[in-house]
Parts: sequence; C-alpha cells; structure tokens
Amino acid sequence: MSALTGTGTLVRFVLRRDRVRLTVWTLALVGTVVGTIPALNDMFSTDAQRQARAAIMDTPTGVVFGGPGYGLDDYQLGPMVVNELTMSMLIALAVMSILHVVRHTRAEEESVRAELLRANVLGASAQMTAALVTVSLVNLLIGGLTTLTLVGNGLETADSVAYGLGLALAGISFGAIAAVCAQIVEHGRSAAGLAFLVIGVLFMSRVVGDMAEDGGNALSWLSPFAWAQQTRVFDDLRWWPLALYAAFIAVLFALTYALARRRDLGAGLVASRPGPAGAGGLLNSAFALHLHQQRGAVLAWTAATFLFALSFGSLATEVEAMLEQNPDLVAIVGGSAEDATKGFLGVMGGYVLMAASAYAAISVLRTRTEETSGRAELTLSTAVGRVRWFGSALLVSALSSALIVAMGGLGMGLSAAAALEDSSWTWTMLGAALAQLPVALLFAALTALLVGAAPRLVPLVWAWLGYSLLVSMFGALLGLDEWLLNMSAFELLPKLPNEEFDAASVTVALGAVLVVGAVALAGFRRRDLATV
Amino acid sequence: MPSTAIEVRGVDKYFGRFQALDKLDLTVRTGQVAGFLGPNGSGKSTTIRVLLGLLRADAGSVGLLGGDPWRDAVTLHRRLAYVPGDVTLWPGLTGGQAIDLLGRLRGGLDSGRRRELLSRFELDPTKKARTYSKGNRQKVALVAALASDAELLILDEPTSGLDPLMEAVFTECVLEAKAQGRTVLLSSHILSEVEKLCDTVTIIRKGRSVESGTLDDLRHLTRSSVRATVAGDARALEGADGVHNLRIDGETVTLDVDNTRMDTVMRALTGLGIRSLVSNPPSLEELFMRHYGDEPAARGGDGSAAA
Repeated sequence: MSALTGTGTLVRFVLRRDRVRLTVWTLALVGTVVGTIPALNDMFSTDAQRQARAAIMDTPTGVVFGGPGYGLDDYQLGPMVVNELTMSMLIALAVMSILHVVRHTRAEEESVRAELLRANVLGASAQMTAALVTVSLVNLLIGGLTTLTLVGNGLETADSVAYGLGLALAGISFGAIAAVCAQIVEHGRSAAGLAFLVIGVLFMSRVVGDMAEDGGNALSWLSPFAWAQQTRVFDDLRWWPLALYAAFIAVLFALTYALARRRDLGAGLVASRPGPAGAGGLLNSAFALHLHQQRGAVLAWTAATFLFALSFGSLATEVEAMLEQNPDLVAIVGGSAEDATKGFLGVMGGYVLMAASAYAAISVLRTRTEETSGRAELTLSTAVGRVRWFGSALLVSALSSALIVAMGGLGMGLSAAAALEDSSWTWTMLGAALAQLPVALLFAALTALLVGAAPRLVPLVWAWLGYSLLVSMFGALLGLDEWLLNMSAFELLPKLPNEEFDAASVTVALGAVLVVGAVALAGFRRRDLATV
Repeated sequence: MPSTAIEVRGVDKYFGRFQALDKLDLTVRTGQVAGFLGPNGSGKSTTIRVLLGLLRADAGSVGLLGGDPWRDAVTLHRRLAYVPGDVTLWPGLTGGQAIDLLGRLRGGLDSGRRRELLSRFELDPTKKARTYSKGNRQKVALVAALASDAELLILDEPTSGLDPLMEAVFTECVLEAKAQGRTVLLSSHILSEVEKLCDTVTIIRKGRSVESGTLDDLRHLTRSSVRATVAGDARALEGADGVHNLRIDGETVTLDVDNTRMDTVMRALTGLGIRSLVSNPPSLEELFMRHYGDEPAARGGDGSAAA
C-alpha cells in the first residue's frame, strides 16, 4: 500500500460532500466577473470617463485594492478588469482555498472522522493529497471560466488565458499555505487563523511595495498577491511571473508532506503539554468561562486588526507623497491633501469595522456550538441561569468587538500620527472607529436574536454580513441604486473622519442593539435547550 | 424537607410531531436511590432534561425538591448535581479546571473529597479535556458531582464509559452518597447495575412508565436464563413451575427460570445429573420483549418448550 492509496476515492468523496459549497463559490466568483464586465462597460463608456477612473485607481486607496497599476495609461476593458477585480478575486480565492484545505485536513483529523478513514485501506498522505487536488481543481475551474468569460467579451485570448491561470495558481498557492499551517497547529480553527494571518501579511507586503513604487518594488514581488498582475496582462504580456507560482506551490507542497511525515495523526508539531490541576481563582463564573473560551481568538483578531491598521495608518505619508507628485489627484479625491488622507484612512477604518462585525457574529455563534455540543447543558445544570449564561456570552462578544474596533482605530491613529508627525490623528482615528462600534454590536445582537429565538435562521446573519461586505466594497463600482447601497450595515452610520458624527443615528443604533439583545435573551430563556 | 424529591405526573413532551414522553410518571422519595430503567431512546434523558428545566414539559406537572424546575432552575440547581450521559468538556480546560469550574458554578466544592475522588477514580486532572477518553470525561463530571454537597444526584447512564474496576468505585460512591442521606436518580439500561444500587425502580418504554416499585415488587420481572448439559432426560422439566422457554438439543438444555423458583428447578436439574451449568441474569432487552410485547416477543411467544 502506498502513501497515496485511496486518493482517487477520497477526491470524489470530497467533491461530492462539498458539491453545494464549491458550486456556490464557483458561481459567485465567476458571476462577479460575468456581472462586472457589463457594469464596467456601462459606467465607463467613453475614453474620458475611463481615464478619469484610471486616475482614481492611481490614488492610494486605488493602489490598495487595485494593484501595481499596469495599463492605466490606456484604460480599456482588459486593464479595467485586471485593476478593478483582481484583488477582490484573489482575496475571495484565498478565503475559499484556506477554508477548503483546513476543512479537509486538520478539521477532519480533529473530528476523529479521519481516524475512521485512516483505519480503512487508505494511504497516509491520501487525505492531504485529496484536499490539495480538489482545491487545485476548483481554482483551475474558476480560472478557466474566467478566461472563457474574458474571451467571450472579445478580449485577447493569450492575455485572458494568462489572467485566468494567474488567478488559479494564486488560489492554489493560498491553499498550499493553509496546508502547511494545518501541519503546524493542532486545531482547524487555529490552522485557518494562522493561514489568514500569513495571507494578511502577504497582502500588506504587496500594498506597501506597490505604493512605494509604480509597478511595485521588491517587497511587492515577495507576495503571491502581486504575481498575477505582474504578468502585465492586457498591457504588455509576459508569462514568466507565473513560474513564481509554480515554484512557490512546489516548495510548499513538498514542505507539507515533509511536515506530515514527522507527526502522528491528530498531533501538531508542537505537542500539547499538561495543564493546571485546578482552576485559578478567576475562573468562577459563566462570564469568566466565556472569556476563557474566547481569549485566544480575541487576542488573535485584535492583534491582526491592530497590525493591519498600523500598516495602513503608516501609509498616510504615501498619500501625501502621491498627491505631491500628482497634483491632479487632489481634484479627483476632492478638497485638500488632508481631506484625501482622511478619506483614505476612513475607507481603511471601514475594514476594521468589517473585521469587528464578523468577529461579533462568530463570537455570539459560539454559544450555539456550546449548546449543540452539550457543554451548555452541563453549565446550565449548575446554579447558572439561562439569562446569566447567554447574557454574559453576549457581554464577552460586545467587549471583544469593542476591543477590536478600539485597537484598530488606535493602531491606525498612532501610525498616522507618527507618519504625519501630528499626534491629533491618534484621537481622530480612535474616535472615528468607536463612532462606528454600534454597527458591530448590531451584528452581535442580531446573531443573538436568531440563536435565542430561531436558531435555524442563523445563516441570515451571514447573508446580511456578506451582502454588506459586497455592497460596501463593490456597490459604487457596480452602479447599484442608492436604496440597495443603504441596506448595507456599513452604510448605517456616518463614516468619520470625513463625515460628521451624528449623535441621533448612533443613539438609535445603540437603542436597537439593546432592544434586540433583550428580545434575544427573552427568547433564549423561553425555548428548549438543544439536545445532543 | 419534603419526603418526595422528584414528583413527575402525566408529563408529555413533543419534539415537533414526535412524542418523546407520553404521560410519564416518576416518583423518587428523599434519601432513596431510584433506578430509571429503559432501553436506548425510551425517553430517559428527555425526562432528566425536563427535571433540570432544560426542556419544558408540554403537559403534566413536574416537581423537583419542592419547586418547579422550569421556573426555579437556579435555586434548585444549587441543591443538585448532574452527570450527563455523554459528557462534553471545554477543549481548552484541563479536567481539574473543569471540576473546579463546575463546582464553583454550583456554589462550592469540598476540596478534600475532590482530592480523594480523583485518586479513587484514578483521574489525571492535568490533562486537557480533548485528550480524555469518553470514560475519563465521565469521571470528570462524576468527581465534580460527587465532590459537591448536593442533596440530589441526577446521573444519566454514568457508567457507560467506565471499565469494570471504575464501575465498582462508582458503586461504592453511590452507596456512600446514600449513607450520607442524599437522594440519587440513576438512569441506566443495564438491569444488573440498577439491581445492585437501587431501592426503587421505574421502567420506561417509549416515553411511558410501564412499571415502578421496589426491587422486590419487580422480582417477578427477573428470570435467569440457564444453560446446562445433563445426563438424564430433560423432558422431565416440561411444564414444571417457574420454567419457561425450555429447549432441548440432545444433552444440552436451555431454559428461563423465575428467580423465585430457582431452588426447585435447580433441584430438578441436579436430579438429572449436571455436567455443566451456566446461569445469566436476563438482559433488559429480553425482559422488555417478554413483558411488553415488542414484535420479536410476539413472534417467539411466551410458551414453554418451544423447541
């Protein structure tokens, strides 16, 4: 029996088990490409409009989510697709690939299902290989369909192939990163977290590199986020940057198998050590228990957000430098250089809020896991009432999101203050972030409402969060109607520091949080506990 | 203190259209060890969750320690300790931390007894919960429950993951709890375990209590199955008082014997010249098939000498 025995069966099994999940990802991503092209043609139908858009893509915010800026001189459909879509596609592919690989490797081992499979006629590397094969297949499928879409819209075949292949190889690279992470740590959740952290660092290194120099400097070249655009598709095509992906993937795959051979099933490279024989004095309440359960995740999310904010805040000088080099930009972003900086930091602050909102929902959702796993039953059989148990969980979620928001604002403010040598930025950005906190709390409250009153409807929270993320990132680009835009949670409150603080809407939002939270608690008190 | 610790009358519980409990009755007197016996899926855990106020009864009345478990959950829970049938612990906590946490949430833990129980159950409290086997997770919940001062212990199939040695330790612990005057509700699907420990037994099937009383009351339910090799002609046993399901295959004879008639039947067997003899208590499943007419029993019938 070789190490790969049974891989084929497993590949089919993974594809079958995930047929809905993978289909949705494929349709959503290819659909984005299919849907964006007419929108781009429509919104930027004249040369003047297109060049005006190109100028915006040359601003700091444009560089963050656009790329190194190839093809901006003659901003036709091809370059538009590459500059407007690539980063979002790469981020989505990264999320998909990481979740897929972790789900079929480490998370599977953790659930003991892997034991059941490995006891069967199955090679030691079969599961890992099946995960890598399937993640490659789905990335290639998405890349291939993207190519077909571009060719179908009359774009050059060679460039379209290079672009689709670039996306696919980038996606596989992210999957390979996840595979290595899954070997290092013991839990699916931490493996995914570690992989996202690595991806975040790679994304930042491209942003910093692309901002420092047109076409990106060495820092940018270190990142797989850069290579897909370094082929200069639809501008001056060169194929060799794709070889970087091939090398990157080969090295990481080899590393994965080498690490896998060195460890037991279920074990991490770092063995878990014995812990304390008794609980410390602080672990004496439902609140302490929830906090203890979440502290690792809270620290990780806070640290990641803080670092993200710190690095974007420090780009404030780049904003000024770019405006000095290109005074026309001032007209595009409107107002003064300071307004441009505020606008840039405000947009980046939006991402801090998105992270905190996602964490708020995830954190409240943990109560559902506690319940369905039977742990809540054990806790609630003691002298802890339901309202106290659920309420303290909500309090932990609210405090955690507040911490993430505050540290995000503080990080951005501190580094902007240091970069611009003006300490007032610290308080401006901290205040701007905290003014948006009610939105994150609203996500916590809504998740609580569904967990408390209608657990089956929990996916609705994800639907709204996903909708809000998409609309806030692409709404303007897709030319959506005002009312569709306004349904995004991230448009509920004014975006400081560019917009004015509005005490009334913040009060209404906080009131809604309290009311929804109270209904959630009442619902949880009244219903049957889920039984195992 | 009321003389009845648990008083359940005519309780119905539906999950959607599925009826889990059907006019269930259950009474446990203070200071007694009460067995709650039934096959898997008969509604034992559902009843216990209703008693804990985790599920709300759709009909009937539920009294626990003189209160209403749905309304007064927190005050009542200070006075009881619960061990679930399938214990799930927090992956980030060690067994010792989980024991302390559960004890504190309940309102206190006797640290001397905690230490003693840990050593009797041979449980290493420094291991992370995720590395524990099912039996060890059960021990964590047992130590937390037994080390408390709770006046009522609710134990849901507490030995299902324990090895025989640990089962013996568990038996001792329950008898000690009884000696301290505590009330115990012990659910199980193993008849012998209940026989060893319990003063009274309630048998539940498909959500209904079908039998309840002291063990002596239920003695008529207990038959032993006997398998023997004899020299003489076993047909002599046909129709004898207390003999059921007699089957003769050459020199080998198998039969079920009412425990009350064991002595006379053994004398008859001895008269035939016993070469080998095996006697087993009946399994709960056999008991149910015989007494409550499940399909297999209906097919087999209750006639003697069905060879």
